[in-house]
Amino acid sequence: MTASRTPLLAINGLHVTVEGKQILNGLTLQVRAGEVHAIMGPNGSGKSTLAHVLAGRPGYQITAGTVSYEGRDLLALAPEERARQGVFLGFQYPVEIPGVNNVYLLKAAVNAVRKQRGLPEVDAFEFLGLVRDKMKLMHIEDSFLSRGVNEGFSGGEKKRNEVLQMLVLEPRLAILDETDSGLDIDALKVVAAGVNSQRSPERACVLVTHYQRLLEYVVPDIVHVLVRGRIARSGDRTLALELERRGYDWVSGEAA
Amino acid sequence: MSTPLTARILEEHANAAAALPPAGPTAARRRTAIAALTASGLPTSRDENWKYANLRPLERLRFIPATATPALAATDLPAAIPGFARYVFVDGAFAPALSAPLDSTAAAVTPLAAAPDAGQASAAMAVQTPAPGAPADERFALLNEAFATDGAAIRVAAHSGEPVRLELVFVASADALTGASYPRVELQLDSQAHLLLIERHVSAGPHASFVNSAVTVDLGCGATLHHYRLQELAARAIVFDTLSAVVGRDACYRLHGISIGAQSARSTLAVRLAGERADLTLAVVALGERQQVQDTYARVEHAAPRARTEQVFRGISAGRARVAFNGKVVVGSEAHGTDSRQSLRGLLAGPEAEIDVRPQLEIYTDEVRCSHGATAGKLDENMLFYLLSRGLEPEVAQRLLKWAFLEDVVARIGVAELRRQIEERLAQQLPEPAARAEST
Repeated sequence: MTASRTPLLAINGLHVTVEGKQILNGLTLQVRAGEVHAIMGPNGSGKSTLAHVLAGRPGYQITAGTVSYEGRDLLALAPEERARQGVFLGFQYPVEIPGVNNVYLLKAAVNAVRKQRGLPEVDAFEFLGLVRDKMKLMHIEDSFLSRGVNEGFSGGEKKRNEVLQMLVLEPRLAILDETDSGLDIDALKVVAAGVNSQRSPERACVLVTHYQRLLEYVVPDIVHVLVRGRIARSGDRTLALELERRGYDWVSGEAA
Repeated sequence: MSTPLTARILEEHANAAAALPPAGPTAARRRTAIAALTASGLPTSRDENWKYANLRPLERLRFIPATATPALAATDLPAAIPGFARYVFVDGAFAPALSAPLDSTAAAVTPLAAAPDAGQASAAMAVQTPAPGAPADERFALLNEAFATDGAAIRVAAHSGEPVRLELVFVASADALTGASYPRVELQLDSQAHLLLIERHVSAGPHASFVNSAVTVDLGCGATLHHYRLQELAARAIVFDTLSAVVGRDACYRLHGISIGAQSARSTLAVRLAGERADLTLAVVALGERQQVQDTYARVEHAAPRARTEQVFRGISAGRARVAFNGKVVVGSEAHGTDSRQSLRGLLAGPEAEIDVRPQLEIYTDEVRCSHGATAGKLDENMLFYLLSRGLEPEVAQRLLKWAFLEDVVARIGVAELRRQIEERLAQQLPEPAARAEST
């Protein structure tokens, strides 16, 4: 495990409400470069809210707390600025956008990051080669390129597409919101291979998941259990196994 | 029904009658048309199917046809479409010098001024009494018939092999204060004929022209017509357009309308599926910005068994524009086995913009399959956030989604060069290139 001293992501006492309802309730979490964290928890514990708040989705009121990313205030940035700074959200429910094709979106996304870094636009030919390589890794067919974003994709295809986007964009901080849900075992292995291929000392990954199944293939450094909007317990990967054995009531009861 | 407006039309017609050439719609037909128009009057905003149209400009327009023909060069016109013969009409009058006639024995295109009787049979359709119960929404065609001096009579015979390819370019150049432009098309496809027709309405210069176009279409048994209509007039133009079509047995009519230009545009499309298994696709795209009014009324009448209709509308309204589509499908008592689908969608691109989409179904028989969907709303927040979360600028994301909104209709344009030109024109209003072509 490679860990630098300053955390890549530092969440402190985060309180978030949605339509007046308290969802996150003083959440504190630090993620260092090189680490993979798993955030587990029962339904309604605030897992997806956390993922969305980090990506900057509108509709969430942050009532207290701070989030810093690379030492800067993440919450002050617009969603597109966060993306360009290297924050990536893999959606639990990827959106279908008929009429916008996949390769166009990939290219526009990569060029947005490059522009931010003062780099010229990506060479179209090289880019296509790179995308094709990553598509092979994700078992995605060639015809995908000219199709509309997630248009008519199965649940599994959508999730693989999220991971493909992540591989092409190479974010510093990837937040994958239940990317494993609804996948069969083969698709799960493909998704896991994609995530593992991106592990590096420079990058970090936060896996939001309900089940520990994904964690058999993407082994996390730290596992957190989220209960009623705060981290109730943290531990190594054995915590996920224990949760699997004993159920969430075990932690929920403790936290109550 | 005498109103100040019809009285003025009648007066202008009397003054112009001596000057109007005896050719074209003949003098007798002109008289019949003006009499019918005087009797019925033009629609008013109190008429149900005209409440979204902008009829106010009629009060100050002149109806006499424009006569001073400006000197135009081919470079003033849209780029030619490869493989298509071109006929150009300036303020309604045929301009041979700008045209590239058809080289085919399968079809004849005759300027109406040159051959007064050429299109008479089908032209009569425009003045047919509308079907019982239908309001007389085609009255602007009477105005055209009363004043038009020229136009295109097109007849396509049965033929084998490649479809006939034809482009009609109607150029409006005169200011409405000096005279009106009356584009006129009388189209007849014989049994088994196949035509690709591009009909463009453009402006030469920035004048506030008044354009009143009338098109009649008669499709014989098994005929196929792909009809691309583009309204890209200058920003101050006023246009009223009437298309009346009859589709015969096993005939196929694909009607694509793109309405982008003019200050105020009203298009009335009346299609009668008269023969068994007639097949109609009516796909309309309309964009409005500033204070533009883009209003389309489409009435499709199923008058025979097992005919099929697909109506698709995509409209975007920005600024203080109003974009309206009123799509009515009437299934007659004899039209069992009808298959009719409507998908009407409007996109509001500004807090002061207006969208009106209205599907209407009138069914007088059982055993039909009719579906309709109509939506009007803003850009989808989930789609927008998805694009932002991938780093796209909000302005880019919005333009991209607007483009995507039109995409499924634009993609149906089967003539590649025409589609390219339309995409370019759309991109001027939604200035972000769609990179569909960048795929593989």
